[in-house]
Formats: sequence, structure tokens, C-alpha cells
Amino acid sequence: MKCFKKPTCRKTVMSGIILTWLFSIVVADAVNAGEKLNYRLKWLFNASVVGDLYADVHHIFTDHGLDVQVKAGGPERDAIRELELGHAQFGVASADQVIRAMSKGAPVIVIAQLFQINALQWIYRDDQPPIKRLSDLKGRTIGITYGGNDETIMRTLLAKGGINQKEITLFSVRYDYTPFFQRKADIWPVYRNTQGVFLSAKLAKEDETLRFLDPHDFGVRFVANSVVTSEQMIAKHPQTVIKFKQALLQGWREALNPANQKKTLNTLKQFDKDTSETILTQQLAITRTLIQPSPDIKIGTIDTAAWKETEQIMQAQGLIKKPVNVEKALRNL
Amino acid sequence: MLLRRIYQFLIIYCAGILLLFLLKYGLQLSDYVIPSPIELWQTGCAEFVRYFKDVADTLRVAVIGQIISVIFAFIVGIAGRKATWVGSIVKVAAYNVQAYPIVALAPIIFILLGDGFIARLLIASMICYFPILLSVIGIMSEPVVDIEHFYRCTGRLRWQLEVKIRAFENLNKLTTVISGSATLAMAGTIVAEFIAANAGIGYSIRIALYQSDLARILSALFVIGITLSVYQGLLEWAGALIKKGWET
Repeated sequence: MKCFKKPTCRKTVMSGIILTWLFSIVVADAVNAGEKLNYRLKWLFNASVVGDLYADVHHIFTDHGLDVQVKAGGPERDAIRELELGHAQFGVASADQVIRAMSKGAPVIVIAQLFQINALQWIYRDDQPPIKRLSDLKGRTIGITYGGNDETIMRTLLAKGGINQKEITLFSVRYDYTPFFQRKADIWPVYRNTQGVFLSAKLAKEDETLRFLDPHDFGVRFVANSVVTSEQMIAKHPQTVIKFKQALLQGWREALNPANQKKTLNTLKQFDKDTSETILTQQLAITRTLIQPSPDIKIGTIDTAAWKETEQIMQAQGLIKKPVNVEKALRNL
Repeated sequence: MLLRRIYQFLIIYCAGILLLFLLKYGLQLSDYVIPSPIELWQTGCAEFVRYFKDVADTLRVAVIGQIISVIFAFIVGIAGRKATWVGSIVKVAAYNVQAYPIVALAPIIFILLGDGFIARLLIASMICYFPILLSVIGIMSEPVVDIEHFYRCTGRLRWQLEVKIRAFENLNKLTTVISGSATLAMAGTIVAEFIAANAGIGYSIRIALYQSDLARILSALFVIGITLSVYQGLLEWAGALIKKGWET
């Protein structure tokens, strides 16, 4: 008590209390996590997450006995970090995120792969020569997001086509499309099922037509959005994980079923109010082809070969120092 | 003054890092969430020179932006110091510009001016000018009655003299505000680079964020902090020199 009267001692004690309080907030969050399930998406609510929204709005999670809160993602969100910190129990992450996390020891497990074909593609105007071979990229100004997975994919395409960086011009991509509209860049990265649709519609008004460069056509398979959870969740609550996966995939199947189109569009409109129904319909149609490219591929199938290829690409570009054996994190529950 | 700034920053930075490590090892978090001390050290060593150049680039924009905003704030502040109709409208216009959040204005600025030097400079100036303006208006509209009374009675108080008297009497406040606004100018430039530029430390942080590389972000924060501490220390030192010069 005598010590507490001294200002320096009081400061030390107060600092200790504040630190303990901060620490307890994080721990409490992790402990309380078991009561309600948080599902952190990778991006904002749009057509790319239609199945997740459908499962939520049409009570499919509830029917499976789960209380799930679907949370929008964004550039500043990282589902894998949230899993580890206990802020979320399930999340959506791209393969490069999963592989990076594994290379740093994160206990992440992939339980379903949503996109069988990566939605990330490049647009270019059809008054430009078509890109039929990778060598057709020579001499063009190509938009890439430095540090983003479009950079990784484009560099893989260039390496595959034997194109030297001096033979092309790379253009740093930002959030708006002005450089593409102003023709400062010939080729611009977009998500085929969302941005690709509204940009096509926008340029069609100016009598311009777009073409798409799909890396998949040139044999580059870089896995996109997948559903992840933590090792701890699988070990401690395996039934919850199974039920979650079943409910989620049921949501996706129902959302993409053409018979439910009206219901699906109404669901989407609740969250994406700024997009017209015409555009949403087109976005939904393209999303369908990326999630289930053929009827014999089940929604949610984990394409192990594509995951291994993604790991090889990342290792070849020095994005991971050593192999992580990504197949260890893939679980077909 | 300069040394004090640096060691104060080092204490704060080390305390922050220590807290992160406490969380990491307390909650057994992987290196993906919080990097290990070894990884942080290795990344810091590997990236220091590159980040230092990036910070120097950012600081260059921030310093020019700060100079512009100081000049602008003084012009507006001096014009708006009188309780006249013009003074009042100048104040309202200045306040209204600040009411728009910079993240809403930044996209328009980048579309109109591109993502080069000018856009970064404008955003840095916009972020740091307002606190300076408030202080300048506050200082310039407050008469130093004891001194001004004599000149007023003898009819020798011109506006230039009035501004000089008020600035001299409040030099400590002005130095503190200008030194503090360096942080805002730097923050404004980093925000601009983070949103859309293709150079500077904000741009490098954005790339590190895309790659979920917290070790790089923490290294960048260290370089930003140490550079800013030196710059602020120098500003305070310059302020002290000016005051000394005026007093003699």
C-alpha cells in the first residue's frame, strides 16, 4: 500500500491492469467463440458469395441446428487470422492465403473449394488483336496489382509463355478503372463474374466490346475461394464442422439451381442494392459456371491437383521459402 | 530535443512490439498472425534500406505538403482573424472543406490528377492544414492587449505589426502546432499512397498487406516512426532557434 502512494508505482500498476484487461478481451473472445459461429467471407456481399447468403437468409444453417453469422470480408479482413484469434470459426480464403498461412505455421484446414475455376481474369477490348497464344501478350500494357494474386498468376503466364518482362509493360492497378477506360493499360484484371459483367455492360453503352483472358485456358490453375476452419475446430467439434459444410453446400446448390433463380436474385438484391437485376442475373449465370463447370463436378469439390499446382507456382515465384505440402490441409469430410 | 524524440519513439515502439509478443506467446499464435522475433529482425534487416528510401520519398511529399499547408493556413488564418463578414466567410469555407472525409475525396483527386506526386501532395496538405489553421485563427484573433494598446493609441498599429506581435507572443504554441502537423502531413501522404499511389511507404505497406506480411508492416512502421521523430525533433529545434533569434 505504501508503494501505491508513489506516482511511479501507481503508473506501473495501472499499466499492468490495462495490459491484463487488453489480454483478457482477446482471450474472452476466443473462449466465447464456441457459442455462436462466425463465418468470415473473403469479400463484400456480391454474386461471388450468393450461396453463403442463401444458406443464411433461407435458414439452412438454422435447419442444421447451427447459429451462424455471415460476415462480409474486405481487403483489411483475413479469415485465417480471425480463425486463430477465435473471432471466427469458419471463413473463406484464397489458396495463396492458405499456403502462406501454412508456411508460417497457422493451423488452417480447407473443408471445401467453392470456385472450381478462378474468377480472376483479364479484360481487353475487342478492337485489340485477340490473345490466342501467350506470345500474343508481347508488347501490351498489362495491369497487375503488385502483391496481389493477379500478379502471381500473370507472372506465371509470362513464364509459361517464355515472355521476358522487357517485352511487356506492367501497369500498377488501383481501385478504379480509369486507366483502362483511358487506354493507358490494354489488359486489366477483373473478377469475371462480378466486375467483368458490369464493365462489359458499361463499355457496351460506348459501343465497345470486351474479351476475356482466362489463365485457365492456358493451363494455369490457381485455386481461388475456399472454405477454411481451424485444426482445433475439427478436433474439438467435428460434428459442427460437418454440419456447417453440409448446410453451406446445400445453400450453394439451391442458390445455383436455375429453378430457384428468382429466389436467389431476391436474396442477392437484399445485400447488393446498387446492382440492377439484369446485371445480377448475368453475374449469377457466370458464377454458376465457375462454381460448377460441369454437372459431374460436385459443388465444393477440393481439386487437390490444382492446389498442388498453386503451391508450386508460389514456390517458383519465391512467395514461400519451402514446400508446405498443401494436401495435408485439405479435408474431404 | 532530437535525441529525446528518438528514444521516446523507441520506448513506445518496443512497448508495442512487446505487447504483440506477449499476445503471441500467451495465446500460442502462429507466425502468420504475429511474426516471431527472429522473423521480425530478419525482415527488418532485409527491408530496412528499401523502406528507408520509400519513407524518404514519402517524407519529401509530406514536407512540401506541410509547407504549403502552413502557408495556406497562415493566409486563411490572417484573413479570417477579424470578426468581419469576409473573415467569417473565410472561416466557414475552410471548415466546410475539412468536413468532407479525405477517403471520400481521395478517389476524385486520383481520377482527376492521376496517382502521381501532385495527388499525394494535395492529400497531405489537406489533412495537415486544418489543425494549423485552427491554431492560427485562435492565435491571430486573440489580441495581445498590453502591447497592442500602445500602438493602437498612437495610430501605428498596421495589420503586419499586429500579426507579428501575436505570432511572437505565441511562438511556442505555433512551433508545437507546426511540429505536430508533421505527423498529420506524413499520415496524409501515407493514406494517399495506400489508396492509389505507386510509390512511397504507403504503397509498400499496401503490398505487404496483400501478402499478409505483418513482419514487413511492423518494419515499415519502425522506419516511419524513427524518421518522423527525427523530422519533428528538427522542427522543434528550428522553432527554438527562431525564438532565440527573435528574442535577441
